[in-house]
Amino acid sequence: MAATRRLQKELADIRTSGMKSFRDIQVDESNILTWQGLIVPDNPPYNKGAFRIEINFPAEYPFKPPKINFKTKIYHPNIDEKGQVCLPIISAENWKPATKTDQVIQALVALVNDPEPEHPLRADLAEEYLKDRKKFVKNAEEFTKKHSEKRPSD
Amino acid sequence: MSFIINFIRKILQTMLQLVSVGKRTISNSLNVYIKTNTGCTLSVDLDPKWYIKDVKELVAPRLGLSPEEVKIIFAGKELHDSIVIEECDLGQQSILHAVRSHASHRKKPGSESPSEGSKPLNETLMDLQLSDHERRSVRTDEDRERKRAHFYVYCAWPCKEMKLGKLRVRCASCRSGAFTVDRDPQCWDDVLEGRRITGDCQNDSCIGSDDGPKFAEFYFKCFEHTSQGEDDQAVPLYLIKSNVRDVPCLACTDVSDPVLVFPCDLAHVTCLECFRAYCVARLRDRQFWSHPEHGYTLPCPAGCKDSLITEVHHFRLLTPAQYAQYQRFATEEYVLQAGGVFCPQPGCGMGIIAEPECRRITCTNGCGFVFCRQCLQGYHLGECVHEGDGSGTSASTGDCQYNVDPGRAAQARWDEATKVAIKVTTKPCPKCRTPTERAGGCMHMVCTRPQCNFHWCWVCQTEWSRDCMGSHWFG
Repeated sequence: MAATRRLQKELADIRTSGMKSFRDIQVDESNILTWQGLIVPDNPPYNKGAFRIEINFPAEYPFKPPKINFKTKIYHPNIDEKGQVCLPIISAENWKPATKTDQVIQALVALVNDPEPEHPLRADLAEEYLKDRKKFVKNAEEFTKKHSEKRPSD
Repeated sequence: MSFIINFIRKILQTMLQLVSVGKRTISNSLNVYIKTNTGCTLSVDLDPKWYIKDVKELVAPRLGLSPEEVKIIFAGKELHDSIVIEECDLGQQSILHAVRSHASHRKKPGSESPSEGSKPLNETLMDLQLSDHERRSVRTDEDRERKRAHFYVYCAWPCKEMKLGKLRVRCASCRSGAFTVDRDPQCWDDVLEGRRITGDCQNDSCIGSDDGPKFAEFYFKCFEHTSQGEDDQAVPLYLIKSNVRDVPCLACTDVSDPVLVFPCDLAHVTCLECFRAYCVARLRDRQFWSHPEHGYTLPCPAGCKDSLITEVHHFRLLTPAQYAQYQRFATEEYVLQAGGVFCPQPGCGMGIIAEPECRRITCTNGCGFVFCRQCLQGYHLGECVHEGDGSGTSASTGDCQYNVDPGRAAQARWDEATKVAIKVTTKPCPKCRTPTERAGGCMHMVCTRPQCNFHWCWVCQTEWSRDCMGSHWFG
């Protein structure tokens, strides 16, 4: 199966390269189509915590894109309460089979670090982000402290 | 005891002899046909170790000529005396052409060699993907072997699958194989498009077209099976190529050989297994394109522009069951695009193309059911009666005189449930009316029909807009 072979290679590559912003990758050996990992952002207000995500690859991968869900609650204009995120690189119309998962994760980390209020999933947060950045940062920091996971120590 | 040992030894010896005899008969005789330009055909047995010179000596007396007067032509080349037969990609029942060489042709000024001719085409021909620079930079024999042209064909019969192919040449005017090319083809266009490579037709009765040069016509045969004659051809799968540059598959990233190279500017590569996986993924979602000229086909998986596969025989790489599904979907798509309908009778589903204004449709080549184009029920006069109007229930409340097949009845209940499920769970694309289910994600819908691709809003059921994005992107 193309999906399994490709994902085994991608997983090995990501693990050996040691991405700083994506850690603690957990993959059930019986099902390589589901990955979990910790997003570790660098920019405030998210640099006080880490966020667990789940990546689901379809059986037709890489001819169909993976789906990403946040398992940790996050105060972010582009990620909604259910953990859904709209990432252009993995939308059906933009998806390219040659796109690697590490590129997808980098795009996701970039979006977490620098929100895009022009394409919001949560209009209320986008408005706050644009109109009252101080308040937004304060809320987001508090939210991160309350809900996010501990950052890896190393 | 010694008797038994002797007996066993004897048996072993006989077996060894049988094996060696078997080997010798295979290697020693290559049965080929030799056609002459006078119209006769000889069947001869050749030893693969022979030189072309030996063939000439064998054939000349039977043509009433001396060996020096005979030219042997094969696959667009006059073969030199020093060529060994096994260097040519001759198979059982292949056809060689023997023609009488004209003295005036042979004795060109300055020509020293007593016999003209060259190496066979399969020896000289380089892989058609190579650039001029790559052709020139081949140094070692190993490299040359690797960059030699390989062709893949779909053998419709008897192999019924992808096989290695052999390139053959004939005269474009008279279709005679006694034709020599002026130069080797250097790219696929040289092979696939006619009138690009000129040559010399040795068929005396060939009139050619006007006074212009004569052109070569290339065709392919299956390498695997014994040739069934000159009309036994195979379709070239020209997107399947040797992986001379070790390009990894864009999907699984393995480097394999051969590979499928898509007809896009970037020449994206997939291995054959991933090509199948790509086709199956797209087929399941009915994401193939229905192109008026090329047929039911796919573009490059990276979404490159103008990258449709134009030779649909490449889809023969699918398994027979997958290919049958491909053919069915292609036919259904064709019927729909031509404004046709499908017979609604359970188990029939015949595609019917009727006059657009005609409402009474008869399933002529299928089950014979006569139905109304609008409501897909049995044909009726007057307005269509829709379900739920109460008219349908009268039959079941009255005294039922009919025998109802329980299987059919159960099927009908399922059909009804299916219709209800489609009605409840889907919304039609505002542009092409394709019923669309929203399985998750945002309200931004993209029509799944590849030739529609309309962006619409699940909530408003109109074209997707910035307002939709702002007010109810995620519901």
